[in-house]
Amino acid sequence: MSFAATAYVIRAEMAKTLRIYFSYPIIVVYWAIFPVLWVFPFLFQGKAMVGSNSSAAFQHLTGSGNYMAFILIGAMVSNFVFSGLWGVGNSLREETYWGTMEYIIASPTHPLVVLIGKTLAEASVTTCIVFLQATIISLLPFGISFTLAKVLPVLLLVVLLMVGFYGFAIAFAGFTLLIKEVHGWVHTLEWVFFLFSPIRYPVQVNPITSFVSVLIPLTWALVAIRGIILLNQRAVGLWKISGILVAMDAVLLLGGYFTFVALERKTRRDGTVGMH
Amino acid sequence: MGEDSRGQGVEDSGPVTGILESSNPGPLRLLRHYANAVWVENIKEWKLELTYPIDFLRGLIDPVVYLLPYVFYGIALVGGRSSANLQKLVGTTDIVSFITIGYVFIGFMNMALWAMGFSLRKEQMYGTLEAVFAAPVPRWVFTMGMSMHSILHQFLMIAVQLLFILAVFSLKVNPLGLLPAFGMIGLMLIALYGIGMIMASTTLIFKQGWLISEALGSLLMVITPIAYPLAVLPVFMQKAALAVPTTYGIMTARHFLMGEQMGFSVGTAFLRVAVLCVIWVVCGLVIFAAIDRSTRRSGTLSHY
Repeated sequence: MSFAATAYVIRAEMAKTLRIYFSYPIIVVYWAIFPVLWVFPFLFQGKAMVGSNSSAAFQHLTGSGNYMAFILIGAMVSNFVFSGLWGVGNSLREETYWGTMEYIIASPTHPLVVLIGKTLAEASVTTCIVFLQATIISLLPFGISFTLAKVLPVLLLVVLLMVGFYGFAIAFAGFTLLIKEVHGWVHTLEWVFFLFSPIRYPVQVNPITSFVSVLIPLTWALVAIRGIILLNQRAVGLWKISGILVAMDAVLLLGGYFTFVALERKTRRDGTVGMH
Repeated sequence: MGEDSRGQGVEDSGPVTGILESSNPGPLRLLRHYANAVWVENIKEWKLELTYPIDFLRGLIDPVVYLLPYVFYGIALVGGRSSANLQKLVGTTDIVSFITIGYVFIGFMNMALWAMGFSLRKEQMYGTLEAVFAAPVPRWVFTMGMSMHSILHQFLMIAVQLLFILAVFSLKVNPLGLLPAFGMIGLMLIALYGIGMIMASTTLIFKQGWLISEALGSLLMVITPIAYPLAVLPVFMQKAALAVPTTYGIMTARHFLMGEQMGFSVGTAFLRVAVLCVIWVVCGLVIFAAIDRSTRRSGTLSHY
């Protein structure tokens, strides 16, 4: 297939995914509001345990005692990861439910191209939602402010984080072709991210979570993003962390591609594509 | 044991046949018939669940993974497992025991919101909803069977959760408080059954009712004092929390097990939950019956 034809398929898939997404506007509203609501129990927990908006023990671990800002930044950035996990990782499973999976497999397009279309649609919706959340949060008294000098390096880190993560999500999509029902596994994976990366707490508090977290790109991205937003560490460590993320991206993208291709071929050979 | 048309063994449905034959069965016989249906539904759910053993094991580990971020976050906030501010608010310092006991109740909340709420939707997915509706038992009996399975499953998950926490952190609780805490949990489950009936009825209208369960679950997670006392919530949330049975379940269990000061007496807590039981169960049954009737009349029962 020519480059132009591939680009056309990606654009068509993006348009289709966005059209389905906006057919249920209530779901868009839900994803804009509830991820922020989920952090409220942690804010109240902080208030109960510490009694103020700042914790000395938290500052010792993270460099900032503002646990509210810590939690809110974790919630916003993790939005990208979880929407990718559900939107891309689970997308081929949804096609099976809609009864359109066989058409995708039988079309003269590689399913990976279709997945790229889905990925771009998912990324654009999530970016809009997070931008909205960030605007609202910066207007509230949580001690988070966004300036252009902060936003640009943060965007770079988010892009580097998501490139690798979408590689992982594509591999996961291949996994759904093989084992079909993965709803429970997505939930478990979601909670593994919550446990082993500093979305909701500083992972250094426990040696095991601290050790495992080093292997997850989200950990590196969150540490750098919080450093920029909360500690004004503009240049400190940014290039080093960017380098680590680029290396992880390369591994995850290549690993994701080969895993997807291998699993898709196996599913075709076994003749189980149409099975539920 | 009899034989079906293919000569295969089938179990006699003794009480069912009896009830169908009798035009006016006595209340005890009817109760036995319903209890039998509840038990059969519970067994059916266990069989379905154990058909996927890996998924079943994963489900047992999930609650531990859910709990740990709350515990670690608490430890990171205070630099240990003891909080002076918590002591000031509720008279206890141990954050690990406080959070763990509170978190156990999320499982019961999920029972009402997801297990019962989605019971009819699941039957629809299996293609057996019409058969369930045509069965000679009321629909509330069917959802009660679902909730029985869910309660037993929750206790199993809680056991795994508590064993893990006991092994890693050690819980500091008063064992003499276990019995009254179970008494409160039993009462709370009745009220949750009423909420579950309302959730089940919403799936008859909205079909894909996950958004309602998810939204309500998220709101309840905020106002229920799982990892914090009621006092830290804004006043309007504190008032809303008093209509939720799990609020009393958590606070009373923590009161019995670790001496949490509740701001009201144990008698008041039991009385309020008893009132909530009546309100939620009556509301649940009435709303379910109304929606059930309306769905049948409009002919949308089998719609997806």
